[in-house]
Amino acid sequence: MARKRRAAIKILDKNYAVGDVVKVQIIIIHPMETGFAKDKHSGEAKPRFYVKEIEIFYNNTQVTRFELDVSASQNPKIKFPLKITEAGMLKVRFINSEDEVTEKTTKVKPK
Amino acid sequence: MMQRRNFIKTSLLLSAVALFNPERYQHRLLGFEEAIELTYQQVLKEFCEGRTAVDGSLLISLTIPTQPGSSVTIPVEVSVESPMNEEDYIRSIAILTTKNKVNKAVIVEYTPANGIAYLFANIKLSQTQDVVVLAKTNKGVIYKASKKILVAINGCD
Repeated sequence: MARKRRAAIKILDKNYAVGDVVKVQIIIIHPMETGFAKDKHSGEAKPRFYVKEIEIFYNNTQVTRFELDVSASQNPKIKFPLKITEAGMLKVRFINSEDEVTEKTTKVKPK
Repeated sequence: MMQRRNFIKTSLLLSAVALFNPERYQHRLLGFEEAIELTYQQVLKEFCEGRTAVDGSLLISLTIPTQPGSSVTIPVEVSVESPMNEEDYIRSIAILTTKNKVNKAVIVEYTPANGIAYLFANIKLSQTQDVVVLAKTNKGVIYKASKKILVAINGCD
């Protein structure tokens, strides 16, 4: 039951060269259900459902790994630094608690 | 006479089956919605691996609004002073809460390929409490910094 989710990865700096440290932003539109909340109408507990893991790949080598839990806000937005060493691709992989994978890529084009 | 008895029996059986329908309780039986509470001490123990955290309020700079407008998304900005080279770098940064039901928000693993030790993430808080940030170097030294955040409305349903 793979559902298409909206997600994005973006390099926040505009002009950067090889050797610079840039900030990269990732975001996914995803609920963060703690499992303690109850539905207003039916009264049943909403099942626990959250983004479990985020992995960042820079030219197919894993550079960063995030471990999230339900205390992170819904639609988690994260910024992290990255040192530019060469042109290529930056890939993000989101894995949620039901092992659903969402992948997004962006190009790295240093000047 | 027999027919009526049979009818009552079958209807009772069917209603019993409908009540204990496994599909209705499947998610509970399989443990999908198992809401596990995670105390601050447990997360701290897991992250520190037997070491004690050193006060690192001079190294770690925290940017969190003291009285955020909404407790559902609170921006937390962390930057740790570190050379970030092969010999000495920040291996892991954790953003933890102290009085939520689940006290783990974000744990990140960095490599020297990141250049600087910086992290921005959004968290949610259930009540007025301390937000604790831990930073672990590659040698295993753990620095700790915290800030008290005033929360008016529970954002952790």
